[in-house]
Amino acid sequence: MALFTPPPPEADELPAAAAALPSPRRRRRRGSGQARSMLRSPMVWITGVAVLWFAAAFLVLPNLTLLGTTFFPDGQFSLRAVEKLVGSERAMRTLGNSFLLAVTLSITVNIVGVFIVLVTQYFRVRGSRLLWLGYATTLIYGGIVLAAGYNFIYGRFGFVTNLALNIWPDLNRDWFSGYFAVVFVMTFATTTNHMLFLSSSLAKIDFASIEAAKLMGASTWTILRRIVLPVMRPMLFAVTVLTFLIGLGALTAPLVLGGPDFQTVAPLIVDLSRSPVTRDIAALLAIVLGVATIILLAVMNRAEKNGVYFSVAKVATPIQKQRIPNPIANAVVHVLAYLVWLIYLIPVVLILLFSFVDARSILAGSITLDSFTLQNYITVFTTPDAIRPFVVSVVYSALASVVVVVGLLFVARMLQRYRNPLTSLIEYVLHIPWILPTVLIALGLVMTFDKPNAWVGGAVLTGTPMLLLVAYIIIKIPFTLRLLKAAFASVPDSLEDASRILGARSLTAFRRVVIPLVIPTAAAITALNFNSLLDDYDAAIFLYHPLYKPLGVAIQESTRGENNLDAMPITFVYTVLLMVIMGLVMYFVYGRGSRAGGPRRPSRAARRGGETRA
Amino acid sequence: MIRFDDVDVTFGEHRAVRGLSLEIQEGEFFTLLGPSGCGKTTALRSLAGFIQPTAGRIFIGDRDVTNVASEKRGVGMVFQNYALFPSMNVRENIAFGLAVRKTPKAEQRRLVDEVADRTGLAASQLDKNVAELSGGQQQRVAIARALVLTPKILLLDEPLSNLDAKLRVQLREQLKQLQHDVGVTTVYVTHDQEEALTLSDRIAVLDAGELQQVGTPEEIYDRSATSFVCRFIGESNRLTPAVLRRLRESAAASTAASDLPVLAEDAESYVRPEKVSVTVEAPAWGAAEGILSVDGTVEGRTYHGSHSVYTVAVDDARLRVSVPGSAAAKRWEPGTRVTLGIDPRWVLQYPEA
Repeated sequence: MALFTPPPPEADELPAAAAALPSPRRRRRRGSGQARSMLRSPMVWITGVAVLWFAAAFLVLPNLTLLGTTFFPDGQFSLRAVEKLVGSERAMRTLGNSFLLAVTLSITVNIVGVFIVLVTQYFRVRGSRLLWLGYATTLIYGGIVLAAGYNFIYGRFGFVTNLALNIWPDLNRDWFSGYFAVVFVMTFATTTNHMLFLSSSLAKIDFASIEAAKLMGASTWTILRRIVLPVMRPMLFAVTVLTFLIGLGALTAPLVLGGPDFQTVAPLIVDLSRSPVTRDIAALLAIVLGVATIILLAVMNRAEKNGVYFSVAKVATPIQKQRIPNPIANAVVHVLAYLVWLIYLIPVVLILLFSFVDARSILAGSITLDSFTLQNYITVFTTPDAIRPFVVSVVYSALASVVVVVGLLFVARMLQRYRNPLTSLIEYVLHIPWILPTVLIALGLVMTFDKPNAWVGGAVLTGTPMLLLVAYIIIKIPFTLRLLKAAFASVPDSLEDASRILGARSLTAFRRVVIPLVIPTAAAITALNFNSLLDDYDAAIFLYHPLYKPLGVAIQESTRGENNLDAMPITFVYTVLLMVIMGLVMYFVYGRGSRAGGPRRPSRAARRGGETRA
Repeated sequence: MIRFDDVDVTFGEHRAVRGLSLEIQEGEFFTLLGPSGCGKTTALRSLAGFIQPTAGRIFIGDRDVTNVASEKRGVGMVFQNYALFPSMNVRENIAFGLAVRKTPKAEQRRLVDEVADRTGLAASQLDKNVAELSGGQQQRVAIARALVLTPKILLLDEPLSNLDAKLRVQLREQLKQLQHDVGVTTVYVTHDQEEALTLSDRIAVLDAGELQQVGTPEEIYDRSATSFVCRFIGESNRLTPAVLRRLRESAAASTAASDLPVLAEDAESYVRPEKVSVTVEAPAWGAAEGILSVDGTVEGRTYHGSHSVYTVAVDDARLRVSVPGSAAAKRWEPGTRVTLGIDPRWVLQYPEA
């Protein structure tokens, strides 16, 4: 899922990362004697050894194996894989397609993304709350689920296609396929980053500066162009890079909707990795993807350092929505806003509807009152084969998200508390999954653990249900670590000092004072991790065990060809269930306070801590 | 009671505290005063055990605590931001230290109620969440939490700096009273000289990590040991060589006793505004008292309610003169020629740096 639609909060890592950086003052105060106290603590020893083992075995080794397979196939350096890649027309074409997709999306997603942010947050548009809810559907619905949904509506055997065929019998069944379809779907599916980050950077504009510009006679358009957009520019740039990466590594949308004419790199990697003969090309393509990602993220990091992000005002006035004075422009904006809203909403509404409709009616393209039934839900909940993928995914996601949060609770505390070369190294290594595409991580794991491996006690993990769990844990490490570190950093040092001076030992202070403040954040992270793993496809397709087929794979299979059409209503039910679960999780994590916020403030307790200080 | 013995604290390149030697008596209200970055908080935090000195030793009583963990030093502390635990209510906050000591529950209740009463916390506030309290109440909780463990030493790190001006003055008096009642040795850190002067038995002034002067508030204010202390505490007028020459001329003409100090002309010299008197008529002070006169011109006046401050040009210097409100009936307009009277005993002189 990570490559198609990064789960919304994932990119929230950016602001969280900034928050996690300890201030120089804080670090200095901790100066003397800390290395000694670090070595004295048994908790640090256990945490340290565990994290070093995990990092070496699962973060470093697989990537080395991948490089080894590609460039040292027989123990000697060889560029054979490169030659094979360059010689393969198909591979080169997919590379070109991926690049084309990335460039296109960088433009289209920005246009749609900026537009929806402006109409929900900046301009006074009627019903903006309703609009927001429509645009926000991508928060609860993305990746393979979304691609499958569009396919079942506009695709070869989709309802809209069937409906249209009743009217225009000559219509090409594959009208919604190829470059156009992929771009269309991904454009509307990947605006989540805009929704989250651009909104928050817009909210940080000092409204007084807009008022000042107005007093000086600037028009709405001038203010937008000269004041609002420039303030958002660094964030816009960051979001563009993320969008580019999403396009470059896109897996599910091209797989489901690309058709024969528009294949991209990630699906090809999946394909090539199945055969030992072409596996080295798959690895090389994954490496190309990885290198591109690393370069772009480095560029983004550099650019971020140069940007003045937020208002320089000490007390910024909160932004107020602007009226569009020109009535024609106002009308046009309203019409466009609701058109876009319909595009977002149609698949969601239809899926909800179709989950209550029998398959034959959908295929015939004619739905009557008699078509409505609860049978699809009954089938899913009473047929073991149908409910199984759902249960498998729930178990995997729950296990992985709990393990990663509990484990990193200790690691984050260690990293936050002790700053030295070793902890810095650990922190860097733990961020490896952040800069690598899921496809590459998964492929590395497959190729590393397909033979007995000393790092895991001589076991073979490939082909066991274990490896997918490991992959899920790996994927969630950077996001979890950053937010947990930020959570620890938001607990004022003085609280621990205070409990120490009241007689509590370090561990007691951690348990009684720090942990209760971090728990709400940890719970929120667990929930978000669970959400984003639930419909994963990218890792599962490489690593799933045939007996434990996760939801993402099951859904993807249901989109393949006519034979699987029976599975279509079941997929609709899955999708509705997923949307309900994800919607609930989002509501509990973000919903009850303000809407556009991040897990930077999921914990009321931590916020209270901040207020106490002021 | 507390002894700093040649303590050095270094952070990387930066020497935050240099060779600090100090002794604090039992029951004393002792203040570390200085501008921000002078090392006062660092000194306090090394006393609390949060910072390990790079060199030197710290004693509490006869015990060398330099390498003793914070929780074993028997000191209580009130933090600048109070550091109340937001996950606990007021009672739990105050009882935290007792709970860590595994004091029986009933005993905890009794002690918390007692200390709450003493620090002026209403019983109804004890079950509140700390976030529901006002700044002043939060401060009381922080003090109660420290005092409930009956520490031998109480450390206060700028505890009043987060409060508004009026409350600050009010709590200052209550704090002094409380300290007097409890009798706990108190080390107080502040950058606010008025706070330091009103609260302290003795004050240590620090600058750039170095101890400048230790003394009673009167000594610090009236007999500032270094020019830094003189400039940092209160207001002061720098006397230029030209003004000093005038004063010496006035002294030569005087008939006063010869044991009055002779003002050096090349020293860095200051006099505080309220130590200068001003008149337009013939000076009311007798030359016999040794008070020296110089003439000047009023340039301006600012009104402060209880007093007015005149700016008077004397030669190449501008002296500020504070005149109490009772005398404000006489009001001098700019341009008025006046005579200033300065007692040489109030002139603070330091060797030119």
